[in-house]
Amino acid sequence: MEGTILRTENLRISFGDNLVVKGINMEIAEKQVTAFMGPSGCGKTTILRSINRLHDLTPEAKVEGKIFLHSEEVNGMEAMTLRRRVGMVFQRPNPFPTMSIFENVISGFTLNGIKINKQEKNEIVEDALKKVALWDEVKDNLNKKSTALSGGQQQRLCVARAVAMKPEVILLDEPTSALDPLSTAKIEDLLYELKSNYTLIIVTHNMQQAARISDRTAFFYLGDLLEYDDTKKVFTNPKNEKTQNYITGRFG
Amino acid sequence: MALIDTKGLRGRRIKDRIFSSFVWILTFSCLAVVFIILFYLFKMGIGSLNWALFTQGPKPVGESGGGILNAIVGSLIVVVLGAIIAIPLGVSVGLYQADHRGRRISDWVSVAVDVLNGIPSIVIGIVIYVWIVKPTGKFSAYSGSIALAIMMLPPIIKNTEETLVLIPTTLKEASLALGASYYRTTMKILLPTGIGGIFSGCIIGIARIAGEVAPLLFTAFGNPGLTFNILKPVDTIPKVIFTYASSPYDDWHRIAWGGSLILVTFIIVLNAIIKIFESKWKVQF
Amino acid sequence: MEHLQNEMDALRKEMIEMYKLVQLQVERAQTALIDNNLSVVQEIGNTEKLVNAKELQIDSRCETLLALFTPVAVDLRFILSALKININLERIGDIADNIARMVAHSKPGFDRELLEKINAKQAFAMSLDMYKCLFQAFEKEDTLLARDILIKDEAIDTITDESVVIAEEYSTSKPGSIGQAIPIISIMKMVERIGDHLKNIAEEIIFYAEARVLKHSSPK
Repeated sequence: MEGTILRTENLRISFGDNLVVKGINMEIAEKQVTAFMGPSGCGKTTILRSINRLHDLTPEAKVEGKIFLHSEEVNGMEAMTLRRRVGMVFQRPNPFPTMSIFENVISGFTLNGIKINKQEKNEIVEDALKKVALWDEVKDNLNKKSTALSGGQQQRLCVARAVAMKPEVILLDEPTSALDPLSTAKIEDLLYELKSNYTLIIVTHNMQQAARISDRTAFFYLGDLLEYDDTKKVFTNPKNEKTQNYITGRFG
Repeated sequence: MALIDTKGLRGRRIKDRIFSSFVWILTFSCLAVVFIILFYLFKMGIGSLNWALFTQGPKPVGESGGGILNAIVGSLIVVVLGAIIAIPLGVSVGLYQADHRGRRISDWVSVAVDVLNGIPSIVIGIVIYVWIVKPTGKFSAYSGSIALAIMMLPPIIKNTEETLVLIPTTLKEASLALGASYYRTTMKILLPTGIGGIFSGCIIGIARIAGEVAPLLFTAFGNPGLTFNILKPVDTIPKVIFTYASSPYDDWHRIAWGGSLILVTFIIVLNAIIKIFESKWKVQF
Repeated sequence: MEHLQNEMDALRKEMIEMYKLVQLQVERAQTALIDNNLSVVQEIGNTEKLVNAKELQIDSRCETLLALFTPVAVDLRFILSALKININLERIGDIADNIARMVAHSKPGFDRELLEKINAKQAFAMSLDMYKCLFQAFEKEDTLLARDILIKDEAIDTITDESVVIAEEYSTSKPGSIGQAIPIISIMKMVERIGDHLKNIAEEIIFYAEARVLKHSSPK
């Protein structure tokens, strides 16, 4: 597939005796939004977190198979380098509570010990906040604690924090499930804007969200990849019956 | 027609009132005891609060006046040194515990900390005597500090662990997902976020050992003279309270009351600090 | 929701293109019939393929919008009405094409006197006038204008009803002219159907703009 940025080869993930991801082969296209959807326990979040090797933190997790970022194998890379190229936004907004808004945006650099002068810092922060449409709302209050922001603003701040590192891929784990509809709409608009510069992979429980914002949709079920196609095709005429049952709400 | 048991309602209301009053009376009694002690302490000790108490060492028997400067300095040395030993160690163990919850080793450490917490302070004193005082042949402030440090560890460890465990994992993940190393994540995110609880744990530890005498009996021992040398034995406030209170001299009794007042005031201030910092440094996440 | 708005705007744009295409077809049909201009007939035939393609495109776009965006309220009504307007426009295009073929079929053209008697020109003019009003009503979401069209349709119906009688009289008065009268009555009926389709479209515009269903009821 042309423009592939990520590729998995027989990815299998188990937690102890529990095989959660059963051998996935898929390719993610560059500068597009790919949605992972499926019922709870289907493995979609597990797969997402294996891309930036967060499972390294979980001793019970065993990740087999290969993941390639461009043509480099993810397991062969230094984990910290990988995570600078693959950013992540989590389900509940999690700005660092001891840091101000400014410090949060730039935290990727400070936490990595990367030295940048004040001028560069200001530029990076302004650029990132503008990208997430937060600049106008906070530009006069950059030194305020990040926890003073609303939930939707905090989540946009987390996206800014990820974007400031100029990653190649951004992973989003149900980024709007903790937000109200208006904030959700703002984040969706934001993701729509971002995809011209970044590859986005989003795990979502919300099928309508997957339909609205993604270019390609992958449907997972009990650790298998049942369907993976253009979003339009998946939602107008899915090939797999289980996919159809899931999206029409006839599941279970 | 809604189901209302009007007959039983009156009985229940009365029971409710009796119970509330009972709780109130018990609470009041506890508070009353505390206030009575403090009041009495204040009454007896306020008379001996003078400049001499704070600036002079003890006078020889027979001479009136004098103070407990040596004990005040001694207490400070022993407590501060104890804190310097206990805090880094305790916080590190607490960190380890928080990270490795549910694992075998951490379960054992938990048990060990609980046991340590329950060991009588005199026993700790004796053990340090055997380990340090006997081989070196000297009583010293630092051996007393070590004994106190051991006693401070359980509250510091427990508080650190509990504070860090409350921090959502997602915060740690967010830091790691940015490419941060474990070390940086701990120092720049976890510890600063938990500083309120960790600090409280340290102050609780200090408050606990500030008034201890038993572990110091065979370690710091006592010293009527003023010294800043940690290799030498020192007196501490609780020790001199004990010594002076059990003496037959009225003058010394007076000094003992003064010392008691100072000690209790110190502990009340520490507790107030804990309360203030808990609310001020409470980090929302 | 920027994304949805972009897609809705694209749909609206395509519908306007469809309106314009079909209007062109009707105008050409008029030219073909009234002026007996056969060159237009070929053009109509070519454009008919475009019209059909566009109908499919709009249908597909509506399907995508419904599947991907689960629109509600005015967005949903717009898409539902777009689907129906689409069909009606395509039928109008078909009618224009049929009229053109019938003109081409009757090689020497139709009897000018008959055409005048039955007010063919007027009928066409009225239908085109209705069409233009309708286009405006769509662009401006002007439901008053749309309601006007409902009334105008009655006028066309009157003319086409009369045309049957006139044609009948004509064919009895001028023997041998029945060969002309029958196709011309057909054509007039087709013009009436254009009016009916325009009326349907007007009802759909009122539906989506006001959420009022005027189908199958007397004009309000």
